[in-house]
Amino acid sequence: MKKTLAMLLCAAMVTGMFATTAFASSADSASTEATSASSAVSEAEDGIVVNTTILMEADDAMINNYSLLAVNPEAPFVDADENPVEDVYVNTVGADALINWLLSEEGEDAAANYGYEEYGSYLFYLKDERPVSEAEIPEATEETKLIRLSTTTSVNDSGLLGYLLPMFEEKYGYEVEVYSAGTGKSIANAKMGNADLILVHSKSQEEAFVEAGFARIVDGMETERLTYMYNYFVLCGPSEDPAGVKDAEDVKAAFAAIAEGKYPFISRGDKSGTHTKELSLWPEDLGITDEAESFADYTDWYISANAGMGACLVMAEEQGAYILTDKATFLTFVANDGVVEG
Amino acid sequence: MGSAITKAILLILSADRELLNILGTTARVSLTSSLIALLIGVPIGILLGSSRFPGKGVITVINRTLMGMPPVVCGLLFYLLFSGVGPFRGLKLLFTVPIMIIAQVALITPIVIGNMETYVAGIAGPFRETCQGLGFGIGKRLRLMLNECAYSIFFVYLLAFARAIAEVGAVSMVGGAIAWKTNVMTTAIMQYTNMGSFTLGIALGIILMSISLIVNITISLMQRRFSQ
Repeated sequence: MKKTLAMLLCAAMVTGMFATTAFASSADSASTEATSASSAVSEAEDGIVVNTTILMEADDAMINNYSLLAVNPEAPFVDADENPVEDVYVNTVGADALINWLLSEEGEDAAANYGYEEYGSYLFYLKDERPVSEAEIPEATEETKLIRLSTTTSVNDSGLLGYLLPMFEEKYGYEVEVYSAGTGKSIANAKMGNADLILVHSKSQEEAFVEAGFARIVDGMETERLTYMYNYFVLCGPSEDPAGVKDAEDVKAAFAAIAEGKYPFISRGDKSGTHTKELSLWPEDLGITDEAESFADYTDWYISANAGMGACLVMAEEQGAYILTDKATFLTFVANDGVVEG
Repeated sequence: MGSAITKAILLILSADRELLNILGTTARVSLTSSLIALLIGVPIGILLGSSRFPGKGVITVINRTLMGMPPVVCGLLFYLLFSGVGPFRGLKLLFTVPIMIIAQVALITPIVIGNMETYVAGIAGPFRETCQGLGFGIGKRLRLMLNECAYSIFFVYLLAFARAIAEVGAVSMVGGAIAWKTNVMTTAIMQYTNMGSFTLGIALGIILMSISLIVNITISLMQRRFSQ
C-alpha cells in the first residue's frame, strides 16, 4: 500500500513539475488562439495582434475558382503497380445527390451567405455563369447513404462544409465523409478509388483529372468541371511591406519585386491549389516549379513549408514573410487572432 | 504552454461533443489493437524464446526488423491494399475504425513478440531443467511459464498500448482523420497544427499524456497484484 501511495505521489510530482515549467514559459508562447472545439476556451485567450496584412487582392490573376467533379466509376483506375482495375466502387447516386444539392438554389444561397455574420465579409462568391441544378434529389437508401467527398483544406478549415453539409444530410438522410487535404492529395485519393466526388481549386490539376478520364458528366450538366463558386487569393505580408508590393502594377510584378529583393516568402510546397496558383505567379526566368531542385538556389528567401495554410500563415507572421493565401482562410486567421477556425 | 494547460482543462470540463468522440475513437482503436497484438504476440514470443528449431534465427531477425517499421510505411501499405483500387477493395474497409486497428496490430505485434522472446529466452534454460526434474507435462509447463511471465506480460502490454496511442502515421493514412468517424487524438493534433492552432494541439497532447498516465497507473497496480 505504501508503495502504491509513493507511486501516485511521484506521478503527481511529475505532473506538477511539468505544469510549473509550462506556466513559466507561457510568455514564449508564440500563438495564442481561439479554438474550434470549444467556445468556452476562446474567452480564456489573450490574442496577439496579427501584423500580416492583405497587400494585394482582387487582381484578375488571383481569382480562386472552386469546382465540383464527380468521379467516373468507369475511369481507367490502376493499382499501385499500374495494373488496370475495373470493379472500383463509386457511389454515383450519392455523388449526384450532393452535387445537385450544392448547385441547387438552396445550396448555392447557403454557400454565398456563409461567413458574413462571423467575419463581416462574404468568404465565397457564386460565379455569374455557374451550373444550376433543379434536379430532384432522391432520399438516401442503405446502399447510397455514404458519400465520400475528397476536398481541399480551404473549404473545410474555413468552416464552409461544416455549415453546408448538415443541411443536406438532415434533409435527405445521407452521410458525407469529408477527406480533407491539399488539392493534389485530394485528387490522388480520388484516383485511388477512395472518393465519389471532389471539390478542389486548381484548374490545371482538374483538367488533367478530366483528361485522364476520371471525371464524369452528371445528368443535366454540360461539363465535368462544375466551377460554381470563387473567392480571391490574396498576397499577404508584413504591414511594413519592404518589397513595396502595394504599389506594384499587378500581382506578377509584386512577385517579381519579392524575388528581386529576396524578401522571405512562405510557399505551401504541397501541390495544393494555393501552391499551384503561387507557382504560376513567379517570373518565368526563375523557373520555380513543385520540384525541390527548381528552388534549390533560392533557399535564402524561398521557404517551402510543406504544411497546411494555417501553419504557413503562423510561419509568415513569425518571420515577417510574404505569403499567398486564399482570402477565406486569411480572414478566419485574423478574426481568431492568428489561428484558423476549424 | 500555460494557456495550453488552461485550455486542456477547460476542454475536458466543457465535455465538448467532438472531443468526446475523438477520445472514444482513440480508446477504441488503441485498446483493441494493443489487446489483439498481445493475444497474438505473447504465444508466438514464448514459442520463439523457449524452443529451438531450424529457421528460428531468421524469424527472429525478421521480427526485430519489423519492430522498427515506421508507422507511416505500415499505413501506406494498408492504404494501398485496402484502397478503392487495391486487392482488398471489396471489403470497403478504408477510412474505417477496423482498418485502423488492423494496421496498428500489424505495427505492434512484432514489438510484443520481440519483447516476449527476449524475456523468455533468458529464463528458458533453467526453466526447462526444472520442469524436466519435476517431471511436468506440457499443460503444467505452460501454466508455469505464463506464471513466470506475468510480470513482463504487463510491461509488454504497456509498451504495445503506448505505441498504439502515440502513433499518428498509420492511423492518419488508413483512417483519413474523418471527423466524427476516424479522427483520433494524434490525427486531431496534426490537423490543428496544420491550421496553425498550436496551443489547441498542445492541449490535446496534455490530455493524451494524462490518459496514458492513468492507464499506466492502473496497469502497474494490476501488475503488482498479479505478480505477488
